[in-house]
Amino acid sequence: MSFKFLGATALVAALGMGSATALAQPTEITIWSWDIAASSLKASLEGFNKQFPDIKVNVQDLGNHQVFDKTLAACAAGGDGLPDVVTIENYKAEIFWNRFPDCFANLKDLGYTSEIQAKFPDFKRTELEAGDVPYAMPWDSGPVAVFYRRDYYEKAGVDPKSITTWDDFIAAGKKIAAANPSVVMAQADFNGDSEWFRMISNEQGCGFFSADGQTIAINQPACIATLEKIKQMKDAGTLTAANWDEKVQANTAGTVASQLYGGWYEGTIRTNSPKLAGKWGVYLMPSLAPNGAHAANVGGSSLAISNGSQNKKAAWTYLNYVLGTDEGQITMLKSFGLVPSLLSAEKQPFVSEPQSYWGGQAIWADILGTLPKVVASRGTAFQGDADGIYKATQTKYFAGGYPNAKAALDDAANQIASATGLPIAQ
Amino acid sequence: MQLRNRAAYGFLAPYLMIFAAFWIWPIISSFLMSFQNTRVNPWVFSFGANWGRLFNDPAFYNALKNTMIILIIQVPVMITLATVMAVLLNSPLLRARGLFRFAFFAPIVVGEVAYAAVFRLMFNLDFGVINKLLNSVGIASISWFADAPAAMALLIIAVTWRWAGYNAILILAGLQSIPGDVYEAATLDRVGKARQFIYITLPLLKPIILFCVILSIIGSMQLFTEPFLITNRGGPGGGTETLGLFLYRQGFTSLNFGYASAIAYTMAALAILISLLNLWVGRDEK
Repeated sequence: MSFKFLGATALVAALGMGSATALAQPTEITIWSWDIAASSLKASLEGFNKQFPDIKVNVQDLGNHQVFDKTLAACAAGGDGLPDVVTIENYKAEIFWNRFPDCFANLKDLGYTSEIQAKFPDFKRTELEAGDVPYAMPWDSGPVAVFYRRDYYEKAGVDPKSITTWDDFIAAGKKIAAANPSVVMAQADFNGDSEWFRMISNEQGCGFFSADGQTIAINQPACIATLEKIKQMKDAGTLTAANWDEKVQANTAGTVASQLYGGWYEGTIRTNSPKLAGKWGVYLMPSLAPNGAHAANVGGSSLAISNGSQNKKAAWTYLNYVLGTDEGQITMLKSFGLVPSLLSAEKQPFVSEPQSYWGGQAIWADILGTLPKVVASRGTAFQGDADGIYKATQTKYFAGGYPNAKAALDDAANQIASATGLPIAQ
Repeated sequence: MQLRNRAAYGFLAPYLMIFAAFWIWPIISSFLMSFQNTRVNPWVFSFGANWGRLFNDPAFYNALKNTMIILIIQVPVMITLATVMAVLLNSPLLRARGLFRFAFFAPIVVGEVAYAAVFRLMFNLDFGVINKLLNSVGIASISWFADAPAAMALLIIAVTWRWAGYNAILILAGLQSIPGDVYEAATLDRVGKARQFIYITLPLLKPIILFCVILSIIGSMQLFTEPFLITNRGGPGGGTETLGLFLYRQGFTSLNFGYASAIAYTMAALAILISLLNLWVGRDEK
């Protein structure tokens, strides 16, 4: 029975973009995802079902942590209980391929040819492919930008174009806080995340691990300078602590003037704070030095098909539509601001259009313009260990537990070395 | 084996099989796992990979320290509070006793996820009612989730809120089993209320209080839900990471089953040690 079933769906795939799918039996595939990623998948279904009416896609929004935890548990149980398709964040991806090489399908067997692979940038693909086996298809990337409140900056007489270094950002923050009572300059999740460190260190060409993933790089000078700057910003009151939900609350309540995140944060601001249309804008992230880099990547995900899925062909048909066509990717960019990693989608006219929510700024041209300058960074299979150790070190450093940032990150590097067995880069 | 014994074992067999498959085997399996490096495919035997790491791992000592802080501060505070609540509940002066009993017991009825969400809102830095209250009496806002000692205090407040009433009801049952004529005799001998409490109530309550302490210690050793949900997985930066969370993080975030097994065995050993200590402290002096 399942043989016949597969045959029918294979036919659907073979027919490709055609619409003559009346022969196929209705197939249902289930996808685990979270937040706006899940919402944007749902937004893509209308276009998808016009071409493939016989594939019903069921998107489940479980939340980011839940998807990761449940997928790991399911893979550890031999793949039982996995849905057909799972959303996997790039920087956490390697833990799956490394530990459970049989949990996900080799997309090459399903039609992910090298021509299709070449439609995506290399920095997105490295973490998704183990050897020559592609386990997941790139979805969005997260070119970092500063999202800011135009009205608050204007009231303080701060021109965002004049902010090129993080020191400028601190100085601007003081002016903005003075001109706008009870507004903070920016927020960082000092409780549960390491996002500011990951963004600025990536901008500076540093990271937890070296680009080849073979050595620990967290105590390299660029990382030390990053941590020092974050502490300066925290001590100056530029950065206050807030987790994801609190940031969203602050955006809507108007108690924060700027947020630093990947391009995908556009959809979060726009859909959660619709009444603030026209008040938000975007500028490139500041740098440590006046002539430094202004590009980084944070987040960005991929879709993988479980090996135990009964509907692999149908799942692949959906992946190839939603991630592999301009139509699928631009729908998600338009509706929820997910930045396509499909290179051809970046040339679509929508990208250079002014966005009314953003005060008429053509934000996507600005944000996507940084993509070619992004330095690749590897999550590796030890991302979880390194991140946990970094966060503990950061908290201790903020509380005065280390004489300086170098001592803090040397300690973190030693701890990561003892946890992972990897050498520390010289 | 005698025939009748064989029949008995036959009837026991379904249970024994389940017990062997879901209890005995995991216990043995995780013990063996704790001696393996589970981060390579396939796993290899390596003593140092887990046990060698455990006793040099600052994150383990941090989790141990956090668990001990909760044990040493939260349990006595909560039991004292519960005893006071029980005595007040037992007072003949109290009206609407049923209502108060229910009110003290109610936190247990509330789901953990729901109360965690409410605590997160109440202790929110900018919008939370707690910081608003502190501000109104001239105290600056406290960053409850980003400051490690504050997060620990919050955790202790939350756990105490949830479990104090439960213990109070247990202690109340103990109070009501103390015969009234003991107090009557003491009153006739002109013993004051405070001394009656110290010399009559507390000694007679000792078994029930010890029971509550043991239950609370076991609960604290296993504390997981609150630091997971309220302080965002033991945040900030491990500031409220308990042993249970540390085990979970190693097992299911870093996917290091061998190390997680070593942690689990250490926790079990610790629990046995503390239980023995408890029995020794609470022994009847002859």
